[in-house]
Amino acid sequence: MGDPDVRLMLEVRDGSAAAFEELVLRYQDRLITVLEHLVGNRDSAEDLAQEVFLRVYRARKRYEPGAKFSTWLFTIANNVAANARRGRARRREVTLRSRDSGPLGPRPLDVLLQVSSGQIPARQLDKAEACDIVRLAVAALNERQRMAVLLSKFEGMSYVDIGETMELTPQAVKSLLSRARNALREVLEPYFQSGDHPTAGERMPDTSAE
Amino acid sequence: MSDLPAQTDPILTEQLVAYLDGELDAEQCRRIEQRLAEDDGLRRRLQSLERAWEWLDELGASQTSESFTRSTLEMVTSAVAKEAAWAEAEAPRRRRWRWTVVASATAAAGLVGFFSVALLQPDPNRELIRDLPVLENLDAYREVGDIEFLRMLHREGLFAQEESDES
Repeated sequence: MGDPDVRLMLEVRDGSAAAFEELVLRYQDRLITVLEHLVGNRDSAEDLAQEVFLRVYRARKRYEPGAKFSTWLFTIANNVAANARRGRARRREVTLRSRDSGPLGPRPLDVLLQVSSGQIPARQLDKAEACDIVRLAVAALNERQRMAVLLSKFEGMSYVDIGETMELTPQAVKSLLSRARNALREVLEPYFQSGDHPTAGERMPDTSAE
Repeated sequence: MSDLPAQTDPILTEQLVAYLDGELDAEQCRRIEQRLAEDDGLRRRLQSLERAWEWLDELGASQTSESFTRSTLEMVTSAVAKEAAWAEAEAPRRRRWRWTVVASATAAAGLVGFFSVALLQPDPNRELIRDLPVLENLDAYREVGDIEFLRMLHREGLFAQEESDES
């Protein structure tokens, strides 16, 4: 049992509140990062993260150590997010709210798609705009693609671990990630073809007239 | 724009992504690297995929506050305490329910057993009651000594007439 988090969870199983607090501290940032980019809303992500931790605690007596604690935790997170999505669908709530105005104007997703298709030229971006572009590109993926991308990018999970988390085979994960990353490439390519990758605090010079 | 053959494009893209993710075995790596060495278009596709992946760094990681940690621990503690209190309050009711179920099951089993035995086992009293008319006149029938003769008399209705006289 090489995973230190598995050992912590076993202490939680045996009744240690301190061990549970340590797990919360270790995973809260990681969990909210994935959930926030999954649902597109910080408040919702925090609510979902708390639900995940509550489920972890409730399940403590039945916990059986597997290979990795993180895979088990994010399996619960995937399930919580899916339940929340079904609840939102029933209530017809809009979960991925585009800002009404921002660096890309009133309909940022339309702008993104138009640039991607070549209808309008891309221009160089500052950091806030780049973040907006990437956020929208990720939001344009379907939820399964988004989850697989976030687990791969932010958790560094292998295809096997992503498959275990999302109840997919490694081949299915491979196909899912391939489609997702190709979709991201198609949306983002016009932007990084227009200049260097923006760095923090700088605005890239406009070289389009040169 | 892709200059890869359309029918193989999804498969090649899968291989490229898996290559970037370190998910190919040694032989698959060798084959894709050979193709990359020979194919400019494929190299451009790989670089494009890699750059798009790097752009995801713009999303950034979340930083949670102490208040989130505190509220999470309080929420979990409170939820678990409520569940324990509910379980304790429900315990007497659940015990009563268990006893009711056990008692009912026992009574039902007893009734089933009683009626099963009653149906399956012959009642000696019933046999006696059925044979009472014979028993009452047994001495007389023994005097006849011939069962076939008695059956003939029964067929003639002699005994039915006697029974109706008695009633």
